[in-house]
Amino acid sequence: MILEARNICKSYGSLEVLKNVTIECHKGRIYGLIGANGAGKTTLFRILLGLIKQNSGSIAIDSEGIKPIGGIVEKPALYGYLSAYGNLKVFAQIQRLKLTKELFNESMHQVGLSPERKDAVKNYSLGMKQRLGLAIALLNNPDCIVLDEPFSGLDPMGISALHALIKKLSRENQITIIISSHIVSELADLCDMLYVLYDGEIIKSGSAARLLKENVTTFKISGKNLEMSEVLKNADAVFMNKSVLVSPKDSTISEVLQRLIEEGVEVTSCIPQTDLKALFGREGV
Amino acid sequence: MISLIRSEIYKIGKQSKTLYALAAILIIEGFVFLSAYYQGAGIIDLLLDNLKESFEFQGNLLNGNLIIYLILNSLWFHVPLILMIIISGFLTSEYKDKTIETVMLQPVSKLNFILSKYIVSIIFTLLIVLILAVTTFLISYWIFGYGDLVVYLDGLNFFESEDASYRLINAFLSGTITMVFFSVVSLTLAVILKDATKTWIVAAIFLICSNLLLKIDFNNEIINELFFSKLTDSWQYFFYYEVPYSSIYFKNILLLAYSILVMAIGVLIFKRRDIQG
Repeated sequence: MILEARNICKSYGSLEVLKNVTIECHKGRIYGLIGANGAGKTTLFRILLGLIKQNSGSIAIDSEGIKPIGGIVEKPALYGYLSAYGNLKVFAQIQRLKLTKELFNESMHQVGLSPERKDAVKNYSLGMKQRLGLAIALLNNPDCIVLDEPFSGLDPMGISALHALIKKLSRENQITIIISSHIVSELADLCDMLYVLYDGEIIKSGSAARLLKENVTTFKISGKNLEMSEVLKNADAVFMNKSVLVSPKDSTISEVLQRLIEEGVEVTSCIPQTDLKALFGREGV
Repeated sequence: MISLIRSEIYKIGKQSKTLYALAAILIIEGFVFLSAYYQGAGIIDLLLDNLKESFEFQGNLLNGNLIIYLILNSLWFHVPLILMIIISGFLTSEYKDKTIETVMLQPVSKLNFILSKYIVSIIFTLLIVLILAVTTFLISYWIFGYGDLVVYLDGLNFFESEDASYRLINAFLSGTITMVFFSVVSLTLAVILKDATKTWIVAAIFLICSNLLLKIDFNNEIINELFFSKLTDSWQYFFYYEVPYSSIYFKNILLLAYSILVMAIGVLIFKRRDIQG
């Protein structure tokens, strides 16, 4: 185990933000922390990164490196008046790491940025700042990276590129990555494990695939002639433009799809819809 | 620690506000030169009008030494105000941009980080006063030449040219300690308040109150001797005929002690607080 946070509690006055939160992370795996806004995700990350102190509980990181843990909290905070080189130079220098031209080029290529740009970072897009923030977090090769809402504000291309980068860091560099989000789809196909934080407590945890599967009650089916289907009408489906939402009760989704095909409906896609209320809330705990 | 100090100096060198600080200091200097050039003779005549009826003055009293003395007096308010604004910004801008979080996410101790800020602030203060002094001496002597210095300090005091230069250099050196004190105070205020505007307002109020309190007689010898605001004028003592060196040394040493105390308070507060931009 690379990181273990046990029974973490944090209060601001009478407001309990975190209540006995325990998480365990293993080397080279991607962990997702999901929860609604205000659930306590950022506070937990700030504690894991040592920015704020917990009232009680312990954190153990099994690393002998100079920098056991790195990360980005909320948005990447960089010196806007400096170039990418200037930022990397400052953050490398403060941790007594000499930023050679080779290291600079390697750091920039690692996160998919061009080392040729010489202008100030304030001109960068949010996606580029995220990447540069990640390059800074990766200086001195930490064993664990914490990314708080890394996809927030990114366009679909940016999200896809960051997904690929995170997977690459985990698989190739064996870095443990913990990501928070309140958007389940962002974490669904990225994380190995999920922790669900609700009102300052971890209410669910387990493999991402299992947790998401357990909380899927509805499927979005798209295809031709959906409105003609008796199967869908009898299943109280909600018809939308060229698609329909089905919540099978007495049968499985494969049985529903089989019947639709038998009816002559041409199904083009069937997308599971996670029940956020069930996943984020206490239902089914 | 050295690497932190280096990176702080690198950041300061790359920020436009550093140039603004230098420009502000040089603009103040320029205004004094201009007003002295166009109105200086009139002011001297007004000042010495009565004395001219009884004494004969030889040479030019509107000379480089008088101009240096006039610029030296910007140490009362203008220079410390600019220093306090710029130096508090060294930290408040880190809070505003949340870069302090990125710094603290690296393997850097809070103690070393804040100590490096204080050290760099002191270096910056020394550099600004040095630039002010060097440019003042060079330009003043170049444009206005050498001459005897007349100063109004509890009455008119006259100093011969060489003696005046010596006193002015010492006054700048002594004034530097006062500037360091105000700089350290401004950084501690930034630690406490975090917000730039609040820090500027409180720093300006602190400076104004400090100058006002300097003039107040507390009717208590201990307060009059030891209170911090009573220690910020030692550089003026070089313009008494008999320079009270022991009093200057005492005041400066005590002011340095106050600076260390204020710095220690800032370090303690910073260390105890959570890092949140």
